[in-house]
Amino acid sequence: MRLLLLPAVVVLAVFAAALGALFRWSVLEFIPGSLQTGGLTLANFRAVLAPQYLGAVRDTIVLSALTTVLTLVCAYPVAYALARTPSRWVRSLILVLTLAPFFTGAIVRTYAWVLVLGNTVVTWPVPMLFTERGVLVGLVHFSMPTMILILAAALSHIDPVYERAAASLGAPPWRVFRRVTLPLSMPGIVSGALIVFAWTLSAFPTPELLGGGKVKMIANVVKDLGLDSFNWPGAAAFAMLALALTLALLTVVGRVSTGRAT
Amino acid sequence: MLRAAVAAQLAFMTLPTVVVIAVSFNPTAILSFPPAGFSLRWYENVVTYPQFQRAAVNSVVVTAGAVLLALPVGTLAALALERARLRGRHVWASVLLSPLVVPGVAAGLGFLMLAAALGLLRSRAVLVAAHVALVLPFVVRSVWVSVRNLDPALERAAASLGATPWRTFRRVTLPLLRPGLFAALLFAIVVSLNEFVVSLFISNRVTEILPVAMFTYVVNYTDPTIAALSSLFIVATFVVVWLADRYLDLGRVFLQH
Amino acid sequence: MRSRLVVTLLLALLMLPLVLPARAQNALVISVWGGNWKDTVDKVIGKAFTAKTGIPVEYEVGGTIDRLAKARVAKGNPLVDLNFTTTHVARLYISDGLYDKLDMAKLPNSKEIAKEAFRSDFHIGSWAYVYTVVYRPDQVKEDITKWSDLWKPSLKGKIAMPDFDPSHIITIAALMEGGNEVNWQKGEAKLKQLKESVAAFYSTDAQSQDLMKTGQGPVQVMLSVNAYHLQEQGIAVKVVQPTDYPGIVGIDTMGVMAGSKKADAAHQFINLALSKEIQAELVKTLRAGPVNLGATVPANLKGQPGIFSTTAEWKERGYIMNDEARAKNLPGWREWFTANIVKK
Repeated sequence: MRLLLLPAVVVLAVFAAALGALFRWSVLEFIPGSLQTGGLTLANFRAVLAPQYLGAVRDTIVLSALTTVLTLVCAYPVAYALARTPSRWVRSLILVLTLAPFFTGAIVRTYAWVLVLGNTVVTWPVPMLFTERGVLVGLVHFSMPTMILILAAALSHIDPVYERAAASLGAPPWRVFRRVTLPLSMPGIVSGALIVFAWTLSAFPTPELLGGGKVKMIANVVKDLGLDSFNWPGAAAFAMLALALTLALLTVVGRVSTGRAT
Repeated sequence: MLRAAVAAQLAFMTLPTVVVIAVSFNPTAILSFPPAGFSLRWYENVVTYPQFQRAAVNSVVVTAGAVLLALPVGTLAALALERARLRGRHVWASVLLSPLVVPGVAAGLGFLMLAAALGLLRSRAVLVAAHVALVLPFVVRSVWVSVRNLDPALERAAASLGATPWRTFRRVTLPLLRPGLFAALLFAIVVSLNEFVVSLFISNRVTEILPVAMFTYVVNYTDPTIAALSSLFIVATFVVVWLADRYLDLGRVFLQH
Repeated sequence: MRSRLVVTLLLALLMLPLVLPARAQNALVISVWGGNWKDTVDKVIGKAFTAKTGIPVEYEVGGTIDRLAKARVAKGNPLVDLNFTTTHVARLYISDGLYDKLDMAKLPNSKEIAKEAFRSDFHIGSWAYVYTVVYRPDQVKEDITKWSDLWKPSLKGKIAMPDFDPSHIITIAALMEGGNEVNWQKGEAKLKQLKESVAAFYSTDAQSQDLMKTGQGPVQVMLSVNAYHLQEQGIAVKVVQPTDYPGIVGIDTMGVMAGSKKADAAHQFINLALSKEIQAELVKTLRAGPVNLGATVPANLKGQPGIFSTTAEWKERGYIMNDEARAKNLPGWREWFTANIVKK
């Protein structure tokens, strides 16, 4: 029975080999203009800690945090409606409108924002395309379906009996929400926030197309170094840092959420 | 007030889609909304652009290959996860789901380096290998849910009636796993067809799949051709999702009542 | 048992395209910039070439620097046969051993081209243009007539510049401070003053056009050809012939990749591209300056920025930078520019 895992292990071994290649390149010396490398060195990690790259790391964390908060606020009402509505029609509408973007792919969704933010529909009072504001809008839009689905799933686990009980005891709707619904949905909120935050850290197409070169997140820097400058050692070092950052953040937040649930 | 908030959010999520579709009919290369006229020239461009044609073929080949490999591998893994005596089952589960956690650029760059080392830079094999790894977590998760609901008593009954393990698997287990398998198939196809970041690193002009070809186009041209191609994607997806909801009641899949 | 065999066979058949290299090409592969550049090369030269020789043409598109990076990686086993790049970046190709020497015997049309178009034994000019100031009069209230107008406070937040090749603005700033592209540091302080005025940086021609179209970067240091392309698309932009310092001349060049298996076909392509008729067509379509002195320049285009009809005009109406200095300084320029101007 355990042997049934073998094919999957082979697949993952290939995946691990890819990450191994990444690690190997990150510790080799970069020779500009070629794919030959010098000897073992930690210079790549030192080089990518340079101010211009560190700025990208900082921007990534800030943008990811903002995205998570905004997405949470925007998604909650929709998730609540989705979970609580008695009407099959409304549920279908919300589900279709939520899932369809989810399945249409990054380029299609991001390009749509290139159009909207690019003064095609309205001329924005402040520049939106190729700015941080624009990238934030794109990131929030991207994360909405995921957050809605996770929150809705969590909310649907909450027995409406609790809310009805609180209401029957005289609590106004806002109070019911604050004292009953919100706390009970906390695990959903935490897991949704966690997933959106972790995903946004590695976002690539949104800042690439909407950032116009001025807004760079970690993934964009890896692409610049790896595919444009062909500085594979540098790109690898940065990708490793991105991976480490994602894992570290997931572990920390994971521990916090487990602590809270118990 | 809740209704207003929900309506606003749904509008936010849908507005860009409307704009894209409207712009795709623009007669000139300038993107304007509302469109200055009506023209199908950009749709014509999409269908006749050789790079899109080649990329579409690549997409079909790579996705078919990835799905055909990932489905059996993932199903076997899901069975093992649920049924085998494993120490550290949760560790195994995490390992199987791990590709989801790795940033796309890290995986993409890694696969590129691996391909270069193996001299496989110009073949679609690397693309398929990467897609299988990326799609596997979705397959495992979907099938695992079905496996958990599978009553081993049914398989034991078949065995006790004299069926070989293979026969039991084929005639009892697989049919009972159908919902999970179907979900896995859908997820695998959608994830692979839309996979962009990793594929960007390991494709070249000849092997690139459709999302990568679209990205190259957006970066080099400013006309509404991509709006036309996007509109085709959007409409197709809306139809599929709507149909899925009608026949599967997606509410039951994603929520619990 | 039979069903298993069938399934295995099907799988094997499906795996075949994956292990076989993707279709062997008998096409001539050309590396060129994307967008209207590739479209023009294809329409004007590529189609004529295929009609004449029967050899199909395919294009690898990308930016100047990332195509160089890809070429370096594929050294010795090139993915392309013929390469279009700017004259100074071609020097980087040459110093990396990526170009083969041109066989002039195979390029009889080269006898008709301007002296300035012979850049080296390895690369030859295809057309010329200038980098100058281009702006939208409907978005900018005042007239812009010279380079130094870019530093005006009224243009704050309206300027867009390329982030991949800052050679021109660096040179102009240096010239303003009594230096040039060799001792460019003289212009550093002046450049830093410009930082506040820059609204966005573009990494591709398409982005630059987007910025102009949306009005986010209504004043740009832009290639004359791209500006004319915008006009063709219906966007009213003004191409400036600056009165203080000339526009920076750019000469795009062709070269044959070392190790290409289609060197003959590549030479035929180059020869065709240099012919009078093709050059005249290029002038009309691209609105670039021809390298073939015999090519007819339509009267309405004569004297326009970037369109030179005689060798004298090349020198008078444009500043031709020192190729080698430009190539040598480019990496340093990009680094300095990214750290001091692009970085917030």
